[in-house]
Amino acid sequence: MRFAARYPALGALLRDPMGAFGLALVLAFVAMALFAPWLAPADPIALNVRDKFQPPSLAHLAGTDQLGRDLLSRLIYGARTALAIALTSVGLAGIAGVILGMIAGFGPRWLDALLVLFFDSLSSLPMIMFALAVITIVGPGTGTLILVVVLVSIPAYARLIRAQTLSLSGADFIQAERAMGASNTRILLRHMLPNVVGPLLILLSMDVPVVIMLEAGLSYLNLGVRPPTPSWGNILYDGYTSIRSAPYMVVIAGLPLVLSTLGFTFLGEALRDAIDPKLKRRAAK
Amino acid sequence: MSEPVLSVENLSLGYVTPEGTVAALRGVNLSVDPGEVLGVAGESGCGKSTLAAAMIGLPGPNARIQSGHVRLGGRDILALDPGAQRRLRGREIAMVFQDPMTAFSPVLTMGAQLVDFQANRDAASGREKWRSARDMLARVGLSDPDLSMRRYPHELSGGMRQRVAIAAALLMRPKVLIADEPTTALDVTMEAQIIHLLRELRADFHCAIVIVTHHLGVIAELCDRVAVMYAGEVVEVAPVDALYHAPRHPYTRALLACDPANITQRAARLPTIGGRLPDLRDPPSGCAFAPRCTMATPRCRTAPPPRVAVAPGHNALCHEVTP
Amino acid sequence: MTALLDIRDLRVEVAGGGWFDPAGRGRLTILADLSLSLAAGETLALVGESGSGKTTLARAILGLQATSGGTMAFDGKPLAEPGDFRAIRRRTALMFQDAAASLSPRMTVGDAVIEPFAIHGVPIGNRRDRIAELLAEVGLAPDMAARYPHELSGGQARRVGVARALALKPALVIADEPTAGLDVSVQAEILNLMADLRARHGLSYLIITHNLALVRHVAERIAVLYLGRLVESGPTGAIFADPRHPYTQSLIAAEPLPDPRKRRADLAIRGEIPSILRRPAGCEFHTRCPLADAICRYDRPTLRDLGQGRRMRCHFTDTTTKGGRHELEHR
Repeated sequence: MRFAARYPALGALLRDPMGAFGLALVLAFVAMALFAPWLAPADPIALNVRDKFQPPSLAHLAGTDQLGRDLLSRLIYGARTALAIALTSVGLAGIAGVILGMIAGFGPRWLDALLVLFFDSLSSLPMIMFALAVITIVGPGTGTLILVVVLVSIPAYARLIRAQTLSLSGADFIQAERAMGASNTRILLRHMLPNVVGPLLILLSMDVPVVIMLEAGLSYLNLGVRPPTPSWGNILYDGYTSIRSAPYMVVIAGLPLVLSTLGFTFLGEALRDAIDPKLKRRAAK
Repeated sequence: MSEPVLSVENLSLGYVTPEGTVAALRGVNLSVDPGEVLGVAGESGCGKSTLAAAMIGLPGPNARIQSGHVRLGGRDILALDPGAQRRLRGREIAMVFQDPMTAFSPVLTMGAQLVDFQANRDAASGREKWRSARDMLARVGLSDPDLSMRRYPHELSGGMRQRVAIAAALLMRPKVLIADEPTTALDVTMEAQIIHLLRELRADFHCAIVIVTHHLGVIAELCDRVAVMYAGEVVEVAPVDALYHAPRHPYTRALLACDPANITQRAARLPTIGGRLPDLRDPPSGCAFAPRCTMATPRCRTAPPPRVAVAPGHNALCHEVTP
Repeated sequence: MTALLDIRDLRVEVAGGGWFDPAGRGRLTILADLSLSLAAGETLALVGESGSGKTTLARAILGLQATSGGTMAFDGKPLAEPGDFRAIRRRTALMFQDAAASLSPRMTVGDAVIEPFAIHGVPIGNRRDRIAELLAEVGLAPDMAARYPHELSGGQARRVGVARALALKPALVIADEPTAGLDVSVQAEILNLMADLRARHGLSYLIITHNLALVRHVAERIAVLYLGRLVESGPTGAIFADPRHPYTQSLIAAEPLPDPRKRRADLAIRGEIPSILRRPAGCEFHTRCPLADAICRYDRPTLRDLGQGRRMRCHFTDTTTKGGRHELEHR
């Protein structure tokens, strides 16, 4: 009861069937990634060429690939790669966005102008072209991928936070803090931050699947995660190349992509409804 | 006596919330005669705004009508389908809100919106609609109506917006105008002007007006009859002079006594009512005001109070009032 | 006795700016030549319509609004540099018109009322006891501490605002429309509470309002503001009994009285307060004044001392008899 009263948004989220479903899917993928070593029935990179292109069976629930590796195990470990990259990069971009956005929204006007110029120039770069350019310079790999995503995502997050901060800085409760003599640090951390991050969380949740897809896409092009590290994109690529001998591979490799995208998108949509201030106000009355 | 133009009959209405149904109106009976100004007074949570919304058939999506009718010219508006209700609104009954900013679209000029409000006037041409809108703005006291027609809502001051809102409500010459806290958002000087305007318009248009407000001064200035509400019930109805000079219900008396505007001598301490509103998710069986009432007897806490007629047109919902 | 707060010839101007005036040469005057003083333990009401500059004055006193002229002093010490205002933060408090909106939406009532201690690093001892004590002072039960601002009624939010304003036992409390939006019975409760606390702690109040009914009960002195200029000031009783400035007269007459036998047939005041963008020449009130004469349109009247602590800014010495002989002021 106390918990639900403290986190009304969580209660609203769980009451919404779409939100509960999304949250369950997301939690399932997170669990899959965390407990991969215990969940995976086999070593994801152990070769067993004799057993290549085995269709799904009791021994290999999702079949094997062209090198005889257990596909289910590779998909489970692939969740680790996908989520690690997606959550790290979205998380880092989110933190950077909050810091830069609050500085722009709360700081002096010249700094705001400078930061906005920086956001605008960054976001004018097309994502894929920018990614290809960075990969060409730095070389492909997990680190490069994270760097690209962080750089490309910062402007959108920072602009959202900046707009929220700007609109709040005139609010009565911020004025009240100033009148009581609160320091800027205190105003920013204790009063601005909790009130501006809500909408960002929605955006972050909706962006996780975008990054998962980007990782899969780049890995598919052999520009992302280097083999033999299992990644959904790599598996998809393998499936594509062997589509004649093992058509089931493409389908099975695509499934977690579709499900995780659905999960995060549903969660984001439901979050948006749950923390909508108008709905909250109605619940409060 | 002529037929009432609007009558609320035994209306009970609840709002469905996750914590239970809140009984916002409990058996309200009230009628409005043609051309009269009825004031509905009460504090927040007494149900007066719910009553205003129900009177125009817009009680809100989570409202449930438990019993009763709202009759407008013989028709039960709560029973009509939405299309028929819409046709009545504007023509027969119109409403003015506390914050007129929210009643207008921010992206259209006042003129465009005032023309649009006359969409139901089929016979008139666009030019005629524009002209009648302009004339109405002049009538409600806007000094430059042609300029005001070209303005956007945010370009007008609060007082001017309230004037335009009144003009919009009167465009279709409704029989009843409902005004919910029409002056609460305004300064005293604007408030006085809106009161003056409503008084003039009532004389010109012969339109019945229902003023819903917590401001007893506004009601005294403007109304012929007053209904005082408490906890979803009308506890006293009286002609305006009797209500202010011979109030009978203990709640009305308490309310008048603690209004700072009523106390002209500087006082160190003002009277208060004390206690709080009953929880309307579980309304009391006896008198709702009994826990805060200085005259309450054991009977008040158990038996519902009778409606006692104390004079023609003056009644109170109280055990302790004698005719 | 030195005044707790002394304001001399205060001026607040903001840059007009805009497209055609990037240098901001067109300065907009919000407050002009304002002089006020407030004694310790006194309650002064600042009365005026919205747009009269009364909220700007409150912000200027707290150092939240830059001033462009004049001097201010608090307890004899000048207020000019940002450091001067910081030094008096613990001794001043502001109560907002919208009490619920002045509380941080994701902070509990308990955290909100002890925030001043945290801000100023004042030790509080037992946190729970101190919260309960602060809430009790304004008549709230200790279990309110766990509530969030959106769970409070209008009156409760106002009490929390009072509790927070008084947490550090300030000398001066500036209250912006302390009863706006409240029901009459709750208004009376808040006014009683403010009076009790004033008696108990020897506070001074500067009350900003357009509600004259409220002023009558709580204020010892009134200052009436019109378009950023003081038009009349004096003891409350004297001003209500015999308002001298035509604007004060109109304000008092415009107040709707809760008595149908005292209805006003005519209109007390016409028109609206002009925008500061189009400040009238001469006497600022001439556009709405029933007495306005030719001189009022070009000559700005000065603030005159009427004796008995009263001051007024009008060309006419006899403003009570409309149409009567009025003597023009010659300078």
